Amino acid sequence: MSAYSKYFIKKFCWYFLTLVIAVSLNFILPRLIDGNPVSIIVSQVSKGMTDSDTIKQVYDTFMKEFGLDKPMWTQFLIYIKNLFTGDLGTSFGLYPKKVTDILATAVPWTVGLQLPAILVGWILGNILGAVAAYKKGVFDKAIFPVALFVNSIPFFTLAIIMLYIFGLTLKWFPLSGGYDFQMIPQLSFEFIGSVIRHHTLPFLSIVLVTIGGQAIGMREMSIYELNSDYVLYSKLLGIRDRTVSRYVFKNAMLPQITGLALSLGTMIGGSLICEIVFSYPGIGTWLFTAIRQLDYPLISGCTLIIAVSVLLANFTLEIIYGIVDPRIKAAQMEDE
Amino acid sequence: MTKNILEVKGLKTYYRTRLKEQVFAVDGVDFVLEEGKTLGIAGESGCGKSTLALSLMGFYFPPLHYQSGSIVINGIDIMKLKKEELRSKILGREIAYIPQAAMNALNPTLKIIRFIEDMMKVHRPELSKKQVWEMAAERFETLNLSPNVLNSFPNELSGGMKQRTVIAISTILNPKVLIADEPTSALDVSSQKVVIKLLKDLLDKQFIKSLVFITHELPLLYHVTDDIMVMYAGEIVERGTSHEMIFDSIHPYTKKLMGSIIVPEEGMKGHKLSAIPGAPPNLKNVPAGCRFSDRCSYATDACMTGKVESKMVDDRTYRCLYDVEILKEWYAHE
Repeated sequence: MSAYSKYFIKKFCWYFLTLVIAVSLNFILPRLIDGNPVSIIVSQVSKGMTDSDTIKQVYDTFMKEFGLDKPMWTQFLIYIKNLFTGDLGTSFGLYPKKVTDILATAVPWTVGLQLPAILVGWILGNILGAVAAYKKGVFDKAIFPVALFVNSIPFFTLAIIMLYIFGLTLKWFPLSGGYDFQMIPQLSFEFIGSVIRHHTLPFLSIVLVTIGGQAIGMREMSIYELNSDYVLYSKLLGIRDRTVSRYVFKNAMLPQITGLALSLGTMIGGSLICEIVFSYPGIGTWLFTAIRQLDYPLISGCTLIIAVSVLLANFTLEIIYGIVDPRIKAAQMEDE
Repeated sequence: MTKNILEVKGLKTYYRTRLKEQVFAVDGVDFVLEEGKTLGIAGESGCGKSTLALSLMGFYFPPLHYQSGSIVINGIDIMKLKKEELRSKILGREIAYIPQAAMNALNPTLKIIRFIEDMMKVHRPELSKKQVWEMAAERFETLNLSPNVLNSFPNELSGGMKQRTVIAISTILNPKVLIADEPTSALDVSSQKVVIKLLKDLLDKQFIKSLVFITHELPLLYHVTDDIMVMYAGEIVERGTSHEMIFDSIHPYTKKLMGSIIVPEEGMKGHKLSAIPGAPPNLKNVPAGCRFSDRCSYATDACMTGKVESKMVDDRTYRCLYDVEILKEWYAHE
């Protein structure tokens, strides 16, 4: 077996172990929160009921239905067994909806919001950073502090400020949701228009934050590369400025690409705050709702998706890097 | 009569700092280099020798600024050229440069041949990629470098190999003058020898006409160059043939500098090493008189005031208030 496949298998085992721990924590942690989900449901269902025996009966039925009457470790084994068949259980709060069905409707919203926003923010941020480093002067002096400022505002503050200005005060964009709630999802111009209008504000907020961070990083990297010896040497051989700039920005981009891959991996987990502020119907909002209702299966389902996507992104990146960069490959072998 | 390949007159190039201060790194340098000759430039760190090397290229990047003076290469006054003309007609073709840190002089993510292709796009646009390859491979082979190097990334080469590659690239268009800024300082002794041999090879094969070799290692210059020029605080203090400079220096600074050379010999450990007392002046505010006056053991009050011009005595230039005879007499009394 080659040293590289050995490395691959070892890495895979480590990531698998991490996944097992993550799955266990996903199961245990929600159940450690104070409170009983069934009590919450029963108190809603039994509004107006006075007969305590009936209430007790309703309570017991739900406990049995959700499997909460069994000891914790039995529940865990059932959870693991179901996991292998791709069943994440039934939601408590939206009973009898399956958790997998809820997640299937939520993931496209999250990805549809995050993916274009991260890509647009990343591209614009890198262009701005590179231009700021190259042009210097007034442009740099204006861009850099603004980027630093935007990047330092906590995201939820920025989101709330944007919501307040453009949603509440100017009324340019709707305040919440993924589309007008009286509409039925379908492929019509009206519906798509509504989706776009709801999409704009959360999209812009993510773009803005991403631009800030990327521009700062790219500016620093570009300045470092612009001052490197190969730039001077290339120019003193008469090589065109345009060609030298190409060298510089290609080299400055390398770490930025790593950053992009990582932020795509944490995309689903990173959407939490944005979705909660804008009440966007993605994973984040569902996770928030699930925690308030102590909806154990839904919490576990959401966190499972987040854990898997982060692990997958890191694993892929590590493997690809080992193949692409001979220096990193050599370093990886030394870990053996 | 031999032709002058490089003539520098009254060259002044200053660094301008953010606080609007000026650093007089090269402050009125005159010298001439004849075709086929090699010239060494020596001096302590911070005396302006690397800045002089950069300035000779006629291509300035902030914070370095051209102040005044002329640089004539092969009959062309390059300071009168437009930047674009200088870039496409002079750099790499008439005058070429080997940087101080050849280790990092090559773009780490570009194969050597791609870099040469980019260079040829400017200077020899009529060549196809195949022709560029053939030309480069032939030159590399002539210089005892494997053409396989062309297909490598810089980080796959050793330090000495990188240095030789950089030299081969710089001289691929047969420039008249090659400016080598400390090409051996970062190398071990055996690699140094290979690099020196390569430079001599280039001269023998007429790939380059003249060489300016900058270093702080004086013994090395003695073996490599015909003439040596010593710089101090942005000025040339003395110039002569290598032999004269090492064994019969005129200027007190050169004398002291030669005395600081560490030569391996029997019983060295017990010897007291002589060093020049004090430190070179801050080039932001240089002394009014002789720039070496505050460290010179022969300095008189007259040295501290009034500018000292350089003098010429049978082909040798030196910058001291006192005549050769007086200086020689002082040295004899030591």
